Amino acid sequence: MFIFISRDKENLLRYLALIISIATFIVSLFLYFNFNALTPEPQFVEKGAWIGYGINYHIGIDGISLYLVLLTTFLMPIVILSSWTYIQKRVKEYLIFMFMLQTGIIGVFVALNLFLFYVFWEAMLIPMYFLIGIWGGKRKIYATVKFVLFTMLGSLLMLVAIFYMYNLFYKATGTYSLNIFDYYRMILNPSVQVWLFLAFGLAFAIKVPMFPFHTWLPDAHVEAPTAGSVVLAAVLLKMGTYGFLRFAMPMFPDALQKFLPVLGVLCLIGIIYGGLMALIQKDVKSLVAYSSVSHMGLIMLAIFALNLEGLEGGIYQMLNHGLSTGALFLCVGILYERSHTRLIKDFGGVSKQMPVFSAFFLICMLSSVGLPGLNGFVGEILCLFGIFKANKLLAILGVTTVILAAAYLLWMFQRVMQGPITNDKVRSFKDLNLREIVYLAPIVVMMFWMGIYPQTFLRKMDISVSNLLNQVNRKEAIFTKANKDYENPPPYILMEKEESKDSLPIEDTEPKEDTESQ
Amino acid sequence: MNTIYALSPVLIVVAGSLLVMLCEAFFKRENRSYLAYISLLFLIANGAVCIQFWNKDYSYFDGNLSLSNLSLFFVIILTVATFLVILISMKYLALQNANYGEYYALLLFALSGMIIMVSTSDLIVIFLGLEVLSISSYALAGMRREDEKSNEAAVKYFLLGSFASAFLVFGIAMLYGATQATAIPSIIEGLRSGASMGPVGLVGLGLVVVGFGFKVAVVPFHMWTPDVYQGAPTPITAFFSVGPKVVGFAVLLRLFVPYFQDVLDSQVMHGLLWIIAAITMIAGNLIALRQTNVKRILAYSSIAHAGYLMVAILAQDIRSLVFYLTAYLFMNIGAFAAIIALGKKDHEYLELEDYKGIGFRYPWIGATFAVFLISLAGFPPTGGFLAKFYVFSAAVREGLVSLVIIGVLASLVSVFYYLRIIIFMYMKEPSYEIDIHMENPALFLALFLCLYGILQLGIFPGNIMVLINQAVSYLPFL
Repeated sequence: MFIFISRDKENLLRYLALIISIATFIVSLFLYFNFNALTPEPQFVEKGAWIGYGINYHIGIDGISLYLVLLTTFLMPIVILSSWTYIQKRVKEYLIFMFMLQTGIIGVFVALNLFLFYVFWEAMLIPMYFLIGIWGGKRKIYATVKFVLFTMLGSLLMLVAIFYMYNLFYKATGTYSLNIFDYYRMILNPSVQVWLFLAFGLAFAIKVPMFPFHTWLPDAHVEAPTAGSVVLAAVLLKMGTYGFLRFAMPMFPDALQKFLPVLGVLCLIGIIYGGLMALIQKDVKSLVAYSSVSHMGLIMLAIFALNLEGLEGGIYQMLNHGLSTGALFLCVGILYERSHTRLIKDFGGVSKQMPVFSAFFLICMLSSVGLPGLNGFVGEILCLFGIFKANKLLAILGVTTVILAAAYLLWMFQRVMQGPITNDKVRSFKDLNLREIVYLAPIVVMMFWMGIYPQTFLRKMDISVSNLLNQVNRKEAIFTKANKDYENPPPYILMEKEESKDSLPIEDTEPKEDTESQ
Repeated sequence: MNTIYALSPVLIVVAGSLLVMLCEAFFKRENRSYLAYISLLFLIANGAVCIQFWNKDYSYFDGNLSLSNLSLFFVIILTVATFLVILISMKYLALQNANYGEYYALLLFALSGMIIMVSTSDLIVIFLGLEVLSISSYALAGMRREDEKSNEAAVKYFLLGSFASAFLVFGIAMLYGATQATAIPSIIEGLRSGASMGPVGLVGLGLVVVGFGFKVAVVPFHMWTPDVYQGAPTPITAFFSVGPKVVGFAVLLRLFVPYFQDVLDSQVMHGLLWIIAAITMIAGNLIALRQTNVKRILAYSSIAHAGYLMVAILAQDIRSLVFYLTAYLFMNIGAFAAIIALGKKDHEYLELEDYKGIGFRYPWIGATFAVFLISLAGFPPTGGFLAKFYVFSAAVREGLVSLVIIGVLASLVSVFYYLRIIIFMYMKEPSYEIDIHMENPALFLALFLCLYGILQLGIFPGNIMVLINQAVSYLPFL
């Protein structure tokens, strides 16, 4: 769509992009309001024959993916606003890639067919590759190639595992299917599960990223443009955790039990290692990047606690991390736009010049640290409850994430924002302009909201999460029951049918897919 | 049905090439584009005839030449490939001083040879077609007569190619000795009955594999590929990378799919092809990493793709093989078309250095080239991804899990060099300006067709799969 608008009309392009992204967000809000919190079934289901042999266009959302979709659509207008002046060259291509990226991400969260999921999972790599590679920093090519190769390595092995399951399913039942609920029902031999879990787990662990596979993350973050970093931290990393929740854990519960100790230790190493690395970073952006490694470790640990508190906390913390880390990257981006440096030692006393910015930065940082009253606290406390229930030692060690976060973030804040002005450049800094306030304010509002009244969000999550938990523990497989009348869809789906057409954000972003084919 | 109509695809193409030669001799030499139009016209006629013959199952010469749906499908994709190659050649020949009338005639002769090869199941007739194809190819490789590289390519291709033909004939002779037959179904029958199944039959099969392994460029019979691809005129390179590969795999499919299903003692051949597939995928992709010439990169990439196709042969899955060949046709010819688009009078830009900043200077060419590369690398939503998906999933179904793991890891390596071209196009600032000849509507038509094909195959593969299923449903030799 953008491709037909001439290159010179950059502002027109920007406004158009902004309007589209806001419209997408508003449409996705309908999803929230119409969401039925009383059922674990996926809702707003759309299903259509695509290729045959079990490969269908099949999408829908449940209580877990709902929020991730909302997070994505919420951040998109903010990201576009934030890059209003930062991206000066090749605006058109930039916006096209941004929307392609959004399409891919939402697709990953809503896909209920393994093949469709894989297609979106891979398709999302291409725009991200270009975003880092074209608009990135000095070592952009190194970073972007590393990013793509790491992710591909995991996902290709996952593809082999998908083939294998596809084939197993065919042999067992005589029909082709890639529907994930059919796979939930499949009881696999534990020794087979181990291999499949490893293949899936590797793909998702690289994406999260868990400890030994994290090395692409700091590079990608540091080199990516601000908007790229925000999307990367806020949403892309969540695809890994989402993958664990949606695919790896419920499909291979026995293997999961077997690997739990290893995974737990890896998460813990990630937490502590990420925190320590963040402490010694000289660059603000890589500090935030390492803090992501540490926080994602906590989220994974909470999810692997396999109890209601842990899972809900983990999911909630995914949203929090998306908001607060995204906001931190935005703040770093604002600093960078003014100073063209990200080294901590070049700053100092910024708050004197930029009092409004300083307030925003402080709130975002405290949210990341987990101050009560802000969103981070709720998530972290739930996570730690869950972990504590599962394993006390891990919980005690896991708390270090909060301590370390306080240490490196506060110390960074102190060095950057306070103290005397050592660098003359800082004196010329201007405070936030209206545009910057406009895009930071919604995030801060959400931080308070999620911190003070989390029930808005948790309520609609409960059933889905407990159902997931049942599936993982195989106590009572609700999905099995659901699947019996899978052929004739339950009544409530029919009721939502009219809305589902226009309330799926994927519909909105589809025209942009065409741009690529032009 | 036994009818002389079965000959019509071959006859149309041969008639076209003869007409081109006559026109070349009798009319002025200055403007040769009308020769291209004549050829295109005959190709369209050929395509239309093939579509008419769909589901008719004509055959002639006692079934030695039969147009089953599968054969017709191959004939159609070969015709499409030749059509695209002629489109991308038209301006190129004038720009690169290779504008000789026999060019089109030779292309059509090569096509007729290929049509013969895919529409017969008799090894002798296959050899006949192969020779028609090969001799035309040798001449086509040397079409840029003033260029040393082009001459080198022609000689190299000729020497190694005749070697491979000799191997093939020897193999056919040995198979005849072992089974008293030259038709593939009878050979399979003879091998299955076991009476004649000594080392002779096995060695014969091995030699046939050598002969066709050369044509489709699998390791270790790939040595000619990079030099010939680099030296030959670029449209001819596109032709070489697709045409012989399609026919080679069509023959291997006719031979080995029933062989693996019927003959019990086929493990030796299976193991051999397994090894060939594995080293082809590994070596092709690894060597491509070190290349800096775009044509050489694509040469090694086509070797690697031969490896993936070999996996489909091992998986005995005709559908995925045919789909892969179709997708491969569009993405590879498309990639070469994009390279041709980046050329000017007497010069082509072939080094990676030349591609710096192309993506923004020539956004349309850059973007389409990027799509073809992404498809070759196997990313969704392109045809290349689905092709790999079908092949690998069929292979897993046949229990070739370790081979598939090798395959996906090799294609991970391939991502690196395909993306490297994109890096140069989009992420580096140009160090010097290049100017290209832009007035080339035929070429852009070809680019558009390839792009359309690749996205159609990637997003709505159902349409083509229906045809492929019809093609596969009737197999006279099974």
